[in-house]
Amino acid sequence: MRQPPKQRIAKDAIKAWRLTALILLIIPIALTGASWYLMYTFNFLVFWIPIVLSIITLLDLIITPFFIPKWRWRRWRYEVVDEEIYIQHGILIVTQTLIPMIRIQHVDTKQGPILSKYKLATLTITTAATTHEIPALPENEATELRDLISELARVEQDDV
Amino acid sequence: MSNPKHLNPLAVVFNVFKSFKNAFYFIVTFSVLAISDGFFKYVLLGILGLAVLFIILGIISWRRFTYEVTPDQIHIKHGIFIRKDRYISRNRIQSIDLTQGIIHRPFGLTKVEIETAGNDRDVDANLSAVRYNEGIRIQEMLKENRNLATEEKVAQEPEYPKRTVNNRDLLIAGATSGSIGVIIGLFGLVFSQIENLIPDHVYDVTTRWLLAQALESLVIFALMIAIILWGLGILGSLIKYGKFQIIRYEKELFITRGLLEKKQMTIPLKRIQAVGIEENFIRQPFGLATIYVVIAGGEIGTTADAHTLLFPVIRKRKVEEFLNDILPEYNQVPHHYKRVPVRALPYYLVRSLLIPIILLILAFIFTPTIWIYLTVLFLLFLTLGYARYRTAGYHVDDQFLTVRFRVFNKETILIPKKRIQAIEVIHHFLHRKQELASFKVSILSKQSGRQIWIKELEQQDNDYLIKWLER
Repeated sequence: MRQPPKQRIAKDAIKAWRLTALILLIIPIALTGASWYLMYTFNFLVFWIPIVLSIITLLDLIITPFFIPKWRWRRWRYEVVDEEIYIQHGILIVTQTLIPMIRIQHVDTKQGPILSKYKLATLTITTAATTHEIPALPENEATELRDLISELARVEQDDV
Repeated sequence: MSNPKHLNPLAVVFNVFKSFKNAFYFIVTFSVLAISDGFFKYVLLGILGLAVLFIILGIISWRRFTYEVTPDQIHIKHGIFIRKDRYISRNRIQSIDLTQGIIHRPFGLTKVEIETAGNDRDVDANLSAVRYNEGIRIQEMLKENRNLATEEKVAQEPEYPKRTVNNRDLLIAGATSGSIGVIIGLFGLVFSQIENLIPDHVYDVTTRWLLAQALESLVIFALMIAIILWGLGILGSLIKYGKFQIIRYEKELFITRGLLEKKQMTIPLKRIQAVGIEENFIRQPFGLATIYVVIAGGEIGTTADAHTLLFPVIRKRKVEEFLNDILPEYNQVPHHYKRVPVRALPYYLVRSLLIPIILLILAFIFTPTIWIYLTVLFLLFLTLGYARYRTAGYHVDDQFLTVRFRVFNKETILIPKKRIQAIEVIHHFLHRKQELASFKVSILSKQSGRQIWIKELEQQDNDYLIKWLER
């Protein structure tokens, strides 16, 4: 099997992802709460629905914030060389992507409120046919990488 | 030559048509609402008023629309309230298509569509009606390789490689087109329904006899419908691909086709992203294939056609000869493919059988009587899975990656290395244990990217392909 790429993304990515996951947990918790409420007040649901929902929510509560970010971070690697960008990600299903530098149309960095809290940024690489992301790089590293890639990609392109 | 010109006055008709088309839903909803309230007179009056308005606007917009073709660019001025000036430089033009609709033909007119790369409709230019000669002149003038004088080029034309389709082949193409698959499917469905009905009524002789009568007519009816559909399919392809002709110029392909609506298409070679050979499951046993190209940039409005047909039907062994003549850049159709290993077979079978298995289980639970049909379905999908496994493979040489795969139809696609946008290798823990990984290559197509998969390829083949791309 081919060697994985060398660079890792920022370790703070774990914290950022954990925070995101915790915020998103509001949805399953609200749903479970609603199902219990409906069952008690209106006898609206069969008893096992709230129970199943509770179990799922509990598992979600443990796995998504505390395990998945860690596993995800461990797998996430990238490498930028003169000719190409090499990316690896995925927990159970691992994807390794190779993007030839001359095919790159543009690179963007973007940052939402959570990433900005940890001074991180996401790098988006766009070819004419595909879009790829390197999530959660340290801000300055993302900017540097963006400039580097746009420099390297600035070769004479023959038609899309 | 370089003074601004108007379109042919017939363009007014197209303008009015277009206005009505745009206002269609508005008119319909309004009419329905109004008529139910008993204001029919006013509705009629309103439509009449609208028609007058549209005609006046159509005439004004025709007056305001001018175009000017110079050797470097085309300049279009238009707009009634907001005036627009548009310059499209020759280098940016991807293709110029001439289409003669049934309204155009009696008047010797043509529509000219000038396309630029990208999907932005607004940067394309559309001349709805000009004289045919004028259309040809515009096309010649804005062509990429305009290094030869126009007359000289016309004189040389017979020497360019050219292919046409004769009517016999066209009939074959129509008869074996994918629509027959739908018909067979329909047939199967009807028959399954019939057989399903019989056991319930066996004991009642009268009903049975009546039913048999009804069945007979039902079968005849179904047969007739199938034949009619099939005939329509053939007719459709005759109309669409009648008088098909493809010519290879230095830097572009030129396709003319259509019996009723004559269509001329120019495909610049540099716009071609890949060449594909498709054998649908009816054509495959007869050794017939279709050749298509994947091109970048959008042909306006035609989202349905994912790729552009180069030749409607051809014998498989003649494909290479055809490419040699018309598209020698892509003439290396490999004969040997590196196939996926045997240990990939279970994955292919399971993937194909997933839906039939679920259906079968559901059938056993709810309606055990129809399990026999589902078993047939199961066997069909089993064959499909095996066929997919047999087909999947790749071949590489210096410049090309050729991928052979099957979804339902067998496809062989030749991708130049420099057209590959990205490749991906994907594996999960079972794959890793077995040293397998799926391979995915992205190329640019009309709307966005197109992804081509080779599922469960040998891990070392994946590594080899990555190295090949890096080289």
